[in-house]
Amino acid sequence: MPVADTARADGRETRSAFSRNAWRSGWLHLRRILLPTLLGVAVLALWHIAVTRGSVSPIILPPPSRVLGTLWANLPLLREHGYYSAFEALAALAISSALGLLLALVISTSRVVRAAVYPNLLVFELVPKIALAPLFIIWVGTGSESRLLFATFLAFFPVLVATLAGLRATDPMLVRLCQALGASGWQTFSQLRLPYALPYVFSGLKIASVMAMIGIIVGEFITGNQGLGYITMFAASNMETSLMLAAIMLLCIVGVALYGLVAVAESLINRRYGRPRS
Amino acid sequence: MRDNTIAGLAAIGVLILWEALTYAFQIPELMLPAPSVIAGEFAGESGRLILANTWPTAVQTVSGFAAAALLGIVVATAMVYSDIVRETLYPYLVAFQVIPKIALAPLFVLWLGIGFWSRFAFATFMSFFPIVIALAAGLKDARPEAVRMCAAFGGTKAQIFSQIRFPYAVGYLFAGLKIGATMSIIGVVIGEFITADRGLGYLILWATSRSDTPLVMAAIVVLCALGLGIYGLVVLAERMVNRVYAGG
Repeated sequence: MPVADTARADGRETRSAFSRNAWRSGWLHLRRILLPTLLGVAVLALWHIAVTRGSVSPIILPPPSRVLGTLWANLPLLREHGYYSAFEALAALAISSALGLLLALVISTSRVVRAAVYPNLLVFELVPKIALAPLFIIWVGTGSESRLLFATFLAFFPVLVATLAGLRATDPMLVRLCQALGASGWQTFSQLRLPYALPYVFSGLKIASVMAMIGIIVGEFITGNQGLGYITMFAASNMETSLMLAAIMLLCIVGVALYGLVAVAESLINRRYGRPRS
Repeated sequence: MRDNTIAGLAAIGVLILWEALTYAFQIPELMLPAPSVIAGEFAGESGRLILANTWPTAVQTVSGFAAAALLGIVVATAMVYSDIVRETLYPYLVAFQVIPKIALAPLFVLWLGIGFWSRFAFATFMSFFPIVIALAAGLKDARPEAVRMCAAFGGTKAQIFSQIRFPYAVGYLFAGLKIGATMSIIGVVIGEFITADRGLGYLILWATSRSDTPLVMAAIVVLCALGLGIYGLVVLAERMVNRVYAGG
């Protein structure tokens, strides 16, 4: 067989193998989206059938369509209370991250202070701080500021602990290199320690966004005068399950949005401090 | 001085300062009782009250946590052995990590009533997600060379799992279990806040409504001790399992 023919045959074979692989990887990508979507659709369909065909009472589980209908019908009410919950959670996240970052910077300037604080913080992270919610009612009352303070309290510790850990995570060799090159303390901090700490800080902020939301919801559960958590409890006690589900759905959306905000901020800052690409 | 000694001294210092300040400024007990007053709550009538309410909380927390661990191990194992299971479930597991699951507590009450089962199920639900995500990551991250070598030597799937994947994932599993233990007690407390007629969460709210701050604080102290105790058990279990797999 002439050499050219062999080459052509090889080329054909590679091409067909290549297209087979392309098909396969395309299918694998599609499957990754298709399977979860199918599960979601199946659950919704099963839910709908179970309720409409009678075996499950709509008080226990109203059909998805009715939940959406209730959401639409009560939109002004839900929007008003949603504003309270979202605003308080956002404010709690903002205050707690500012406080956490600032305090971490102050604490990490002194070895003794850090040694005195850090192990106690780790222990404090393990206890169910949520149990302290009623104390905030005793101290601050049942108003908006009580929930705000409690959520700030919950969200503050993850930021503080993560930032303290992050500021410790710098490669000591690089610190010595900076000093050897005559960098000032501020330069070492802004060029080296801070970029090193950022992934830790953002993982702390992500936990904080979830904790802020939890703080607001628990506060609304037990103080009971406004917010989507209050609507949830109110609807539960009135057996208005579809209103309850609508409020829970909105709470989840607010929670995901808050988390998304942190994730977007992280990707923006990562672009600024872009890691060397390999 | 070692760091932990400094930390211990700092904690004791804070308690002494707290005690001194409450006396120096005559802070009313309703606002902030002194540590000695809180410690006094463990004697007599309120001590019995605390003890009686600790038991249900402890039972629910431990059983919810155990159920979540079992379920987490089963689901994570299924996810490693079937791509279809993994791809179907994974986005939902991640989504549930992000949404405020606590908002769903009233739903569990509606479905399962105000007794043991609703709090048990809610605690399981809260602590399941961190466990399954951590273990699935660990089982999947097992060194591919080791897995391939075991397969090349004719190891069965079960052998690959018990000899390679699982030992590799033990660290991940326990990281997930530690978070899960904290989540379980949070789930139980929330459940007790919104429905229960007993348990430490209930006692805290009941004492709050009677403006009995020392009892609130004492119940919180017990709850924290319970949380740390369960966490300690997980750490102990980790040491024992690590001893079994050590030397490999």
